[in-house]
Amino acid sequence: MTQDKIQSRVELTLYRMGFLDSSTDDKDIPPGSKLELPFWLAYALCSQKRRIVSVELPKAYRESYREVMKADANVVNLYKLGPYYYNFGMKLQCFSFPEIDDVSKCLLSTFQTRFRKIMDASQNIMNEDTSKLTSNLDEMEKALFKVGQKSLTDFQLWETRQVEKLKTSDMVRAHRKRKREDE
Amino acid sequence: MLASKAFELIKELSRGNSGSLSPYNEDCIRQVLDEMKSLYEQNQKDVSDTVAGETGLFSGVQVRHAALERNKRCLLTYLYKRLQIIQEMRWEFGSVLPMDIRYNMCEQEISWFNRYNKMLAVYMRSIGDSGLDLTQDMQPPKSLYIEVRCLKDHGEFETQDGNIIVLKRNNQHFLLRSECEHLIRQGVLEHVTN
Amino acid sequence: MNSLNQQSFNDSNVDYDEDSEEEAEALTAAEVFAKLEEAWLNEKFSPELLEAKTEIVECIMDQIKVMEENLLKCKKDDMKICIHKMELDRIRFVLSSYLRIRLQKIQNYTAYYLNIENQRTDKQASLFSPEELKFAKEFHSSIDKHLTELAMQHMPSILQNLNDNLSGNKPDLDCYVFLRVNEDTDSVVIDEETTETGEETVDFQKDEQHIIRYQPIRHLVSSSQLTLI
Repeated sequence: MTQDKIQSRVELTLYRMGFLDSSTDDKDIPPGSKLELPFWLAYALCSQKRRIVSVELPKAYRESYREVMKADANVVNLYKLGPYYYNFGMKLQCFSFPEIDDVSKCLLSTFQTRFRKIMDASQNIMNEDTSKLTSNLDEMEKALFKVGQKSLTDFQLWETRQVEKLKTSDMVRAHRKRKREDE
Repeated sequence: MLASKAFELIKELSRGNSGSLSPYNEDCIRQVLDEMKSLYEQNQKDVSDTVAGETGLFSGVQVRHAALERNKRCLLTYLYKRLQIIQEMRWEFGSVLPMDIRYNMCEQEISWFNRYNKMLAVYMRSIGDSGLDLTQDMQPPKSLYIEVRCLKDHGEFETQDGNIIVLKRNNQHFLLRSECEHLIRQGVLEHVTN
Repeated sequence: MNSLNQQSFNDSNVDYDEDSEEEAEALTAAEVFAKLEEAWLNEKFSPELLEAKTEIVECIMDQIKVMEENLLKCKKDDMKICIHKMELDRIRFVLSSYLRIRLQKIQNYTAYYLNIENQRTDKQASLFSPEELKFAKEFHSSIDKHLTELAMQHMPSILQNLNDNLSGNKPDLDCYVFLRVNEDTDSVVIDEETTETGEETVDFQKDEQHIIRYQPIRHLVSSSQLTLI
């Protein structure tokens, strides 16, 4: 997530930093160059105090995509827009983009819209292939879906009184299974 | 790219699945530490050049400093997360880990595991006067005796009332739940329910 | 379950010191067990480590011991033995589970809780039992040592401080919890004052159940006005 790239514009010459830009062999990077920097680096270089680079709002959070979300968030493949769409969106709050308030509102309403469907599916789908459904979900939604599914199976185990059965610990079982496959 | 080796360590962690530990990546760690060393030396050089009158180096120093912090964070996360996995394994596998898992641990991790084992034992012994084994009673008890089937040959087993039974593959026994819970968790016995 | 308890140690009164209060309250074993059960549920559902109930734990441990001794004296074919053993198993489960949950929390946020402990004044009760404190210190120093040996000591000297990394880890007090109200409590502030809405308060009535953010009600859990469920 903090490794996600963010489009940045160099404001101050980065001396002896030519290696950051793979498109050039120059030793230094002059102001005005565009760079794809990982979030953690952009964060360190762009703050109230120092403005060594300036950053752009990533595409997936811009107005055009926000419109799409507003139209129907349910059909969007969020995973494609960023496997950590929500979390990364929240991280972006630390840069002072003028539209950042709209971004956070959009994140919230997107989640609210999609949550219904995720919750519904996780509580009702049993013994079916869910991979098509989950491939559209970002990592946080996936985790949520998994929790929902687990509660459903747990409840069924309880209903059929299978929770009483003492079981081999999960780790031991996974370990043994792998060992058998290796042999 | 800066700090990309460190990120590899993090990716390695997220690939791991339950019941396994990836081999301790000493090589990658050394490369991270080497990168940190050269970043640091370059920064020292730029700082002294700045003191000597050169200008404009500040931004480069910032970049390297951020990379240093990034490397440190990733490296510590890697080591700490592994300890957490090892710690969880103490509860799942018991005080002796399977050989193939031990094989993937570095020397310090093995000695940490032993130390953890020991502090846990000390703590459990200190509860009340007589101590309490917290690795027992993992699930709420439903009945006193349970029917179990042996999943593998385990050898002799002494029950609480002093009888000795031989645990042989596929044999079934009727035992006190409290005395065979450990064996079930470790996959020696299977709880038979109807 | 409760009826079984009453049956087995109905007349065995035990001395029980209600936390810091001076007068020793005499409680029956069943009452102590009810207290353990409450502590267990609260601990299970609260995101943070709660005050250690050292007296309850000791008391229950003593009870277990007494029961085990009594069982040895009984005749082997006595039907009652089975029931008593079963009951013993249940008590031990609740106690073990309670202590396990606490240990887990201590291990996850060791530095955070040790920090609280260090800033504690004599008037405040400790979060740890003496044994837990010993464990927490040992655990913390073992991890420190591990990270230092494998990483920190090989790093440039200006980066050689661990502080901001591990101790930054803290429990999420903003998570939501289920609770049952034990006694009427009026105007509990559940949302800080904001310019738009003003303070938000709620009146709790006995036996009501709520879902609510943990942070604003945490003091009511420690004072037993609420039980987490």
